[in-house]
Amino acid sequence: MNDLPHLRIDGLHERHPGLTEALGESYAEAACVCWSRHHQPPIIVLLRHDGNDEFRLIDFAVPDARVRKAHANEIDATEMGAYGVSLAAVEDVAGLVAVGRAETLTGADWYVAPNGAELDDLERCIRLEVSGTSAGASAYINRLLREKLTQAARGESNLPAIAAVVGFKALEVAISPLGAQG
Amino acid sequence: MTWADLHRASEAAAIEAEEAFRKGDASQAALLYAKAAELEQQALGTVDPTKIRTRGITAVSAVSLWYKAVAYERAEQLAYSMLADPAIPQFARVDLRNLVQAIWTESSKRAANVSFLPGQVFVSVKGGEVITGGAPLDLIVGKVQTIQAMFYRTVEFIKDMPLRLRGGPLREIQESCRPWLFQAAAGSYQFSVAIQEAKQLDFFKEDTRPDLVAHQFLEILKATASEDLVQLETVVPKAEYRNVFLRLSRNLAPTGKTFESIELRAATADTPVALTPEARKVINHTIKKNRPIHAEDSEAVEEEVIGTLRAVDLEKDFLNVIVDSQALHIVGLGDAMDDVIGPMVNKTVKVQVLRGARDSLRFRDIELDE
Repeated sequence: MNDLPHLRIDGLHERHPGLTEALGESYAEAACVCWSRHHQPPIIVLLRHDGNDEFRLIDFAVPDARVRKAHANEIDATEMGAYGVSLAAVEDVAGLVAVGRAETLTGADWYVAPNGAELDDLERCIRLEVSGTSAGASAYINRLLREKLTQAARGESNLPAIAAVVGFKALEVAISPLGAQG
Repeated sequence: MTWADLHRASEAAAIEAEEAFRKGDASQAALLYAKAAELEQQALGTVDPTKIRTRGITAVSAVSLWYKAVAYERAEQLAYSMLADPAIPQFARVDLRNLVQAIWTESSKRAANVSFLPGQVFVSVKGGEVITGGAPLDLIVGKVQTIQAMFYRTVEFIKDMPLRLRGGPLREIQESCRPWLFQAAAGSYQFSVAIQEAKQLDFFKEDTRPDLVAHQFLEILKATASEDLVQLETVVPKAEYRNVFLRLSRNLAPTGKTFESIELRAATADTPVALTPEARKVINHTIKKNRPIHAEDSEAVEEEVIGTLRAVDLEKDFLNVIVDSQALHIVGLGDAMDDVIGPMVNKTVKVQVLRGARDSLRFRDIELDE
């Protein structure tokens, strides 16, 4: 178990130039709260991408009462935690880091680019579409990913994007490109 | 300053605004969103027109920020000026139209001179016979009735009231927490539901946050469609409430014949609670597992009857279903409730019955057969 590579969700802002320290910490805290609802650390998380299955070790900090209270809203916590885990996962498997974000009607989209790329514009950045489920099983994670792929196939967005679906109880992250990359 | 400098400054202000909003400081959040919007609009002005994608994303971002700053006129003006620009890419055009629709909805709420609880639920019905902005009327009316019933039940549950077995909610509940229906941005057939704020300030218990009605509604819905029974028991500890929420949730979920999915989400969340035919199977399985078996029914054979529900009398404990022009009289409705069965009258239903002595039919369960 200890031989497995680690997936780091702490210090996200140090590796993702688009993240502030406060937001990166909030994402990591929310992820810990979501995992701790179902598991004790350390955990082994399955990263599924491009037909590959890779396992990563995560030794998350068990949240104290203050942190649990701050993330008591399950919907918000799952969403924030899923952002943190997705960013760490796409960094790990694809070498992409958050370089910027843009607001949308319902929240904000993160844009990722290869590590070290300068952000002069968003022309070559890839939009990261994130979904999360606190208790959903593997079948539900697949369903969420299929829905994203179906939406992309229907042409609801013609922006190159990557979808990441995080299952906290299932200990899975499913990642797939959506539409044309470029 | 370059686009990158201005956009980065806008991002920082927007992140702070989001943080303030999450902490419940709506006025500080609005101020910070306005600062972010001003910076993003300046960034938009500096984008090289050949950078079509960056320009589209920045335009949507700037309008969204004005919208979140509750500066609806600024948001609307910028959205229209961008929509009038033929160089704006298609993906941004779709997002800008959705924003305009959302701005209208929020402006209508203000004009209605009624206060609403924070948080609203967006509902979208997708696939099958549903087209963008249009859907069969009976389908939508049925879903709206069920959502209203589920909201009232959620309020009663939060107020820790005993389960209502017959009739509609108390007048006090109807008047204090009236659900309103608003148009929402069309992507499939969409609408939003907001809850009117109670005039009586102590309507909810001191330890209950009224802004959690929409949140609780979604949590319950999500738990009913989950295979994890522990999750459902945690969200709804009372068995009798679990029973009614499961049945209302099943009434919302599609069979797949008329439409493919119904998605419900909070205004601030990207991830919806999606009810699909698959979810309906999960709900049905949970209902079946929790159905009690009475001693007198242990020998009887369970059958399925499909027909038109013509009459229901919960007081006299029977319902009539017409099958091939013949009326079947089914008794023993038990814990069946008005808001679950009521919307099914004159529609095709699937009833699980137990055939007893002299062909008497005892009720087990009922659901719509679209």
